[in-house]
Amino acid sequence: MRLFSRFLAALLLLSLLFSMTGCGGQSSLPSATDKPPTETAETNDEGNASSKKPIEIEFWHNYDAGAGQIDVLEQLIAEFERENPDIKVNHLYLEWSALRSNVFAGASTGELPDVLRGDIGFVPQFQSLDILFEMSSLPDYNDVASKIMEAPNSTAKMGDKFYGIAANTNTKILFYNKKMFADAGLSIPKTLDEMWDCAEKLSNSKTIGFVEAWTGVWNIGQYIWSYGGDVMAPDNSTATGYINGPVSVAVVQKLADLYKKKALSGPTLDPGALGDTDGWAAGVYAMEIDGPWRHTLAQAANIDIGAVQMPPGPAGSIGVLGGEDFMMFKTSDEQHREAAWKFIKFMVDKKAQVAMAKVGQMPVNKEAMSDPEALEALPLLPIFEEALKTARSRPVTPKWSDIENIIATKVAEAITGQKDVQKALDEAAAEIDNLLASD
Amino acid sequence: MDNTDNRNAHHKSNYAIKNNLHLLLLLIPGLAVLVLFTFYPIIKMAVMSFFDWKIGYSQTSRFVGLKNYVDVFTDPIARTALVNTLYYALITVPMQIALGLLTALLIYGIKKFSLTFRLLYYLPVITSWVVVALLFRYIFSNQGLLNYIITEVLHISDKPVGWLSTRWPALTATTILGIWKGIGWNMVVFLAALHAVPVELFEAASIDGANSVQKFFYITLPNIKGTILFALVMLFIGAFNTFTPINVITGGNPAHQTEVVLTWMYFQTFGTVGKMGYSAALSVIISLIVSVIAVILFRVIKPESRGGKL
Amino acid sequence: MKSVRRFNYRYIILIAGLVIMVLPMIYMVTSSLRPNSQTFTYPPRIFPALSEITFENYAYVLVRQNFFMYLKNTLIVAGVSTFLSALLSSMLAYCISRHSFPGKNLLFGTIITIMLIPGLAMLIPQYELAVAFKLINNLWGVILFYTTWTIPFSTFLIKGFIDGIPKELDEAIYMDGGSILTVFFRVIIPMASPSLAAVSVFNFLFPFEELGWSQTILKVDAKRTLPVAITQFFQAHNRTDWGYVFAMTCLSMVPVIIIYLLLQKYFVSGLTTGAVKM
Repeated sequence: MRLFSRFLAALLLLSLLFSMTGCGGQSSLPSATDKPPTETAETNDEGNASSKKPIEIEFWHNYDAGAGQIDVLEQLIAEFERENPDIKVNHLYLEWSALRSNVFAGASTGELPDVLRGDIGFVPQFQSLDILFEMSSLPDYNDVASKIMEAPNSTAKMGDKFYGIAANTNTKILFYNKKMFADAGLSIPKTLDEMWDCAEKLSNSKTIGFVEAWTGVWNIGQYIWSYGGDVMAPDNSTATGYINGPVSVAVVQKLADLYKKKALSGPTLDPGALGDTDGWAAGVYAMEIDGPWRHTLAQAANIDIGAVQMPPGPAGSIGVLGGEDFMMFKTSDEQHREAAWKFIKFMVDKKAQVAMAKVGQMPVNKEAMSDPEALEALPLLPIFEEALKTARSRPVTPKWSDIENIIATKVAEAITGQKDVQKALDEAAAEIDNLLASD
Repeated sequence: MDNTDNRNAHHKSNYAIKNNLHLLLLLIPGLAVLVLFTFYPIIKMAVMSFFDWKIGYSQTSRFVGLKNYVDVFTDPIARTALVNTLYYALITVPMQIALGLLTALLIYGIKKFSLTFRLLYYLPVITSWVVVALLFRYIFSNQGLLNYIITEVLHISDKPVGWLSTRWPALTATTILGIWKGIGWNMVVFLAALHAVPVELFEAASIDGANSVQKFFYITLPNIKGTILFALVMLFIGAFNTFTPINVITGGNPAHQTEVVLTWMYFQTFGTVGKMGYSAALSVIISLIVSVIAVILFRVIKPESRGGKL
Repeated sequence: MKSVRRFNYRYIILIAGLVIMVLPMIYMVTSSLRPNSQTFTYPPRIFPALSEITFENYAYVLVRQNFFMYLKNTLIVAGVSTFLSALLSSMLAYCISRHSFPGKNLLFGTIITIMLIPGLAMLIPQYELAVAFKLINNLWGVILFYTTWTIPFSTFLIKGFIDGIPKELDEAIYMDGGSILTVFFRVIIPMASPSLAAVSVFNFLFPFEELGWSQTILKVDAKRTLPVAITQFFQAHNRTDWGYVFAMTCLSMVPVIIIYLLLQKYFVSGLTTGAVKM
């Protein structure tokens, strides 16, 4: 009779013990190198291609199905598999945030793909979990990287090692609603200050001159840089004096003033505001500094959209680098790693890059940039190429996503008027330095 | 009866063993599932809350004692989230119960189309949270349906109202969504309760000359007290578990001012890297708060049944 | 004459309330009948012009997207988890209600307490479990966890109901030489079926809207359930194909409504003794 309560107590105790073993390396679970759903080639000797089962590699991505990118991807995969009959590529589409959270979830168990194409911002995040494979350790990495534009590839560089390789890139230029400009009789702004003026003039009860989708460095970094300031010290050791320095304060103050006059808005500043895409389609937003997708989306909604370089500030027109990188993980064994690297090399080669360019993916391959087919498919390519010359990458440091979150929150507080700008940015600097100082 | 007792006593040992075996057989499957998939994760989560938990499989986690709890208590956003959650709960729970009860009373009193009403009122309950949250976000947005009605149809104001732009209006709009979605569930539960009240009580009251209001307060209410308690507890738990409405309607914005405890916890788990210990501590704190509320509700509403149910 | 007036006023209030309740749903249905790009136009219109009505969203969702595959997955998950939950919960409820064993109160208290824990909080530990049991991209990864999550509430409700079943029926079986198991299958299950039906309705509807866990486990398209499938229309960069979202949602509600209609009459009796006799 007492058996049962002892039984229950034993169960609880076991659970406690079991969960304790989780600390210090969750190795109570199957070894990370077993990858359950994949098959590995079984042969007696290595490298004999006769009647071998193909190596299956997992490829996670968030290519846009609506733009036809998945169709192109499947064509490319088919071609790759023809050229490499011993490799099979299983691709999996995951929506952007699901892509990241699945890696987080997989990080604790070792359930990770062999290749991932993800936002460049993922690189420092994943690296802080210590799950990325150092690609620059591969013997032919430098050869391959030399065929790729340096700036985009710098997004995968941490210290002097590379933890990925660029897959596609983009940066942001100024898009404007041609009709709204014509109706207001305004000419295209030639400097950032002019742009802010236009924003005010284009705002009324039904329209908003400027939309910013978020308040992270992705959105305001370009202004701070173009006005001559910076977000962090060049060696990423501190934020004090930079994020709360005079240039940053002036920029955020300007944005706060615009917000108050209802000349600036965005869904994270004001959840009641339309998302940028829906807002463009409804003819509510007049200007946005955004990536190439803005052009495609606005055209799909029949908006006559114009594109021009981001107007320069006193320090030039310095945009923020965006894009996606290919990454590999430590959990793959050697065979899978080899196969994955082959696939990546294929995808950054000219042919694949041009094919992807036709469905909206700006290439990183140097040759592809000047390829006539790519130029035809992406008419804005020259504008972006120009912008890419001066675009900067956000700091690629392990705690970057936390840092950007702090900045985004504080800047939002400042812009929406919850806090005085200097105070908010001082708090941001303090929190960031705190974060950098802690373990 | 006596014969049964004697017979039972005679075969007691055999029956006892067989009984115990059957008991175990019946208990084990449910228990196994619960222990494995619920107890273990809960305990693990509690353990995690005392560590600076790293999720990379090759990383080691450090024991930090109560540091995570201190972090939660000193975090202004966590406090904001808690206040928001309480606000949401204190508005949605009573309103849902009141409106649900009202609807149940009305339907209880009609003879035709009862099923139609029951189905249609329950429809919001069985709709996906994500989709209705999106709908409501649109309705309350600056260019949405509500503002359209206010500015163009009723001409109350000529500028759209920012329902979702700042903390309290946005939270209130979300409570409207919560209430709307929950009325049907409450209606169903209270209808069941109403049907359990013996009709004779009402008839007797009529004979004594009581009117509807008196009947409600002196007969209906006391007899459905148990159900009200049940609804209160379930709804409070549900209110503290609110995630999707806030996530979809405001995303916690602007600047985390509209976070509720669960969205904030999710953000700390997936929106950043490496705050797992913090999230775990937050979960433990939330669970404790909800437990306390549940116990208080029990004592206040049905003090006499405190030990009786178990 | 007075009674006729009283009935009238109830209907009026109910219908007025109904309009408010159902308005968002109507908007959803009409939006699903509009072309994708037209969903959020300004000024907003609830009812589209007749010329605008199109079934292209439904066509897309049914044909190009594998709606029936998602539906099948969801039905499998719903069916199996509901059955398991009903079975395991009634087993637990019966033991707790009718028999005494050491640790019983502790067990029941623990079960109730589980309901208080936010499900999202245990995501990472549960995910580790799922991996350990190789349940990723496997419907069982979802079934087992849904069953677990619904057991506490179901057990609670069914136990309350069983409390109300007269013990004489048990005695009759014992006198005929039956055992506990016999009582369970011959008496309890049939008598408690209203409460089983009540919890089954709730449990069956759950997989049709649960998103957080299913999104984590079911990554491969072939295994997705309906709620996960709907999210694939939320593309990056704030562009969402609303028409498809609403069309798929409306379609998803059809099986849900059917199940509700079939089982709703058990709600009343099933919930009565379960919830009411607290």
